[in-house]
Amino acid sequence: MGRWSEDTVMKAAPDSSSLAAARKLAHPGPWSESGSNDVLVWGKCQGSGKTPYQVSVDIVAPAYRCSCPSRKFPCKHALALLLLWSRGEAAEAGADAADFAKEWAGQRADRASAKERRQAEQPADPEAQAKRLAARLALMDAGIDDFSRWLTDLVRTGLATARKQPYSWWDGVAARLVDSQLPGLADQVRDMASQIHGRTDWADHLLLHAGRWWALAKAWKARDTLSPEEFADVKAALGWATASADVQNTESLAGPWLVLGAHRSDDGRLQQQRTWLRAPDGTMVVVLDFAAQGQGLAAPQLAGAQLEATVARYPGSAPQRAMFTSAIVPQGVVKSLGNGNSIMQALEQESAAVARSPWRTRHPVLLGGVTVNPEERGWLHDPKGHALPLVDAPLDSLLALTGGHAVDIFGELDDGRFRPLTVVVDGMVVTP
Amino acid sequence: MTWLAELRTAALVGTGRHDAPKPPDELGFRAPEGLPREESLLDQAAMADVATRTSRTAAAAPSSGLVSPAPADTEPQASGEAARLLELLLTQPPVGLELRTQLVVDWLRFAEETRRRVPHRLLPALLLVAETKSAVFRRLEPAIGTRGRWLKELKSPSSQEAAAEWSELGSADAAVELDRLRGLDPAAAREQLLAHWMSLSARERAGNLALFAGNVHDDDEALLEQALDDKAKSVRDVALRLLDQLPGSARAARMAARLVPLLHVKGLLNKRLDIDLPPDPDGAALRDGVPADPRRGEPDRLARLDAIISGAPLDVWTSVSGRNRAATAALVQGEPRILDVLIATAAARKDTEWARALLTVRTDRRLLVCLPAEEREHWLERHVRESGDDPLTLAPLLQDLPQPWSVSLAEAVLTVISGKDGGQLAASLAAVLPTALPPEANQRCRQLLERTDDDVARRRVLRDAVQYQSFRQSLTEAFR
Repeated sequence: MGRWSEDTVMKAAPDSSSLAAARKLAHPGPWSESGSNDVLVWGKCQGSGKTPYQVSVDIVAPAYRCSCPSRKFPCKHALALLLLWSRGEAAEAGADAADFAKEWAGQRADRASAKERRQAEQPADPEAQAKRLAARLALMDAGIDDFSRWLTDLVRTGLATARKQPYSWWDGVAARLVDSQLPGLADQVRDMASQIHGRTDWADHLLLHAGRWWALAKAWKARDTLSPEEFADVKAALGWATASADVQNTESLAGPWLVLGAHRSDDGRLQQQRTWLRAPDGTMVVVLDFAAQGQGLAAPQLAGAQLEATVARYPGSAPQRAMFTSAIVPQGVVKSLGNGNSIMQALEQESAAVARSPWRTRHPVLLGGVTVNPEERGWLHDPKGHALPLVDAPLDSLLALTGGHAVDIFGELDDGRFRPLTVVVDGMVVTP
Repeated sequence: MTWLAELRTAALVGTGRHDAPKPPDELGFRAPEGLPREESLLDQAAMADVATRTSRTAAAAPSSGLVSPAPADTEPQASGEAARLLELLLTQPPVGLELRTQLVVDWLRFAEETRRRVPHRLLPALLLVAETKSAVFRRLEPAIGTRGRWLKELKSPSSQEAAAEWSELGSADAAVELDRLRGLDPAAAREQLLAHWMSLSARERAGNLALFAGNVHDDDEALLEQALDDKAKSVRDVALRLLDQLPGSARAARMAARLVPLLHVKGLLNKRLDIDLPPDPDGAALRDGVPADPRRGEPDRLARLDAIISGAPLDVWTSVSGRNRAATAALVQGEPRILDVLIATAAARKDTEWARALLTVRTDRRLLVCLPAEEREHWLERHVRESGDDPLTLAPLLQDLPQPWSVSLAEAVLTVISGKDGGQLAASLAAVLPTALPPEANQRCRQLLERTDDDVARRRVLRDAVQYQSFRQSLTEAFR
């Protein structure tokens, strides 16, 4: 793992006040016994007390440990140490790890291997496993039945009535879905409450989503007739997580992987990071990272970077979710993301993806030679005169970077709108 | 009605009261027989969802909003450390917001000197800061380069066309426009106001005329004389205030004629100045702003005297006393009210000579502002070193000085600050001290910071000063 950039450290901060506090500590003065190796960065920070705080950071699978009483992760001491390290002002590499850092790393390794052991031991009892699976399926079946009934009630009383319901009504439905181990569906229902109150086209939005949920419920009931990919897509849509151990055992795809772009979202409870990668043969995958509120997400990969790494793909239809199965070695950055598509081609790709898996909502595309139009919330135009509305677009930034010239832009098609993630300008791949 | 519209209607009303539509034949969808209405509707909704998403076509491009591309930049962009420092200032400022503003201004100045421009990706954040910080806004050029100008124009198209039809602007916008024009071309602004004078409300006449206060000129006299006959008192008052600033005007001569008979030099050796109260004003005096009798109570004859002094040329006083300005000022030293009016009058007219003379008898912030910057600084430095005034009285005087201060003034102020009661002065100078101190004072600040001190405010100000200087040093090196 290479040295983090200051930008990476900034993104790891739980909030801006932590970062501001860290900046005040980010000078060598209060620090002693600092050092780093391929995995760890550590140091002691003299606070107001007599004993300095002991700070250790695992930079590979980001994790932070500090003896200070702060409840923020990472705390200001860990951030300050990382800042110093990223600037090369402290924590020189090659030192022998301090005892407290070694001890912490050891404990972490023990815990991880204990977990692995537990996981490894589990299949030893196939009977118990089968029983657990049967119980879960029964729970989900009951939940889907309940949800189907709710859907028929919804359309019998009419969508107009549903619009008058308070947020708590939707939350109640979502809570029942969570209890039935259907968290993916629950998220969609919870989100619908705000969509209904916020959108002008709420009636169509609710109608089409009700149809999508209905089809999902029917697909679940007919799961025995689905292909493994189709079933995997249904499972993912319902929120049935695939254990990473199960993924790791599948075939690994070698790189180099090109980072096309990344998106971070935060719904107030959970932060999510999507990183889109492309293999030389054009295979696209997405790596998902999650973190709870107030915790640091994994460091984002730089758009345009070539990564030497292997990934394993989750089951499902393309573009698949993937996870890294090896160390990530950056191999430098590219000057271009390749040839882009026209807007019509992009929409055709999205259509094909929806036809393969109607539950999927986002589709990655690289658009070539498009210009930004700042009208309303923003549009992209291609040379053929076609246009796409933008969503979540930092318009000022896009305009500043492109200057109104035609450029290649990578992003996600989402419900007929385009979420720009990466722009190629002047031989550089940049994030707007 | 299309199938989708029928489907929507049925769903909105509810299948309890409305049948689900029949699926269109062309979709090739055959519903099973005997399906409950709800299930039929949901089946069709599912089909509509997939059909909508798989048949999406590109939208028609909105006809407006297309922008012509920005021309190429001529200057190279600031790179490396300089770009990183600007990004730091804009996204994660390591200093307080006021200092951040100053450092951004410094960055832009360095960029201008070394002919570098702001990297394109940082322009939006910079323009955002400039929206609220006028110091940054004024410094944007030329560092933002061609792309920056293009972006700025895109975000807020210039209002040149609107300016042509001044009379059609709302009164607030019209005032802004007139103020801008007054700064560029005072005569044109006067002509503009004169041309629309009759169609403006009294409030607009008074408000627009008041905009001349910053740079009133002898050429404005005719307009002001006309405004003296205005039917609205508010307009007349503004005109009087402005005429007070014109010692060469006809009204000033009339006021001088009223003032001279009131002043008498008495005494052979120990000369003193006796000042009579003015008589009841006649019509001409009323027009010139000498207060009329109140409806009830005694007339305020001192206020009448004030009005006459404010309107008359100051040189009336020297010609009556037969002495120079400083000696004349000494003659009225014992008359605080008269002295105060003289100070206000000299300050309003920015009369440097009289300001110097009056400063010999009283220290007043209004007078100091009239002095050239360097002289003001010398004066203040001497005052800081020698007077035993409460340090707090110095703060407003120091705040107005151009920055950075001279090394010797900085030394003098830091000496007061490090003294027993200096914390209060430090706190009241918190906003200006970090940027006002020259780099040479940095060492002294560091020393003061290192000593034990329980005064939190003082420590904070000194720390800000050190931080600002060290960041500025980084900027200097980054642009080298």
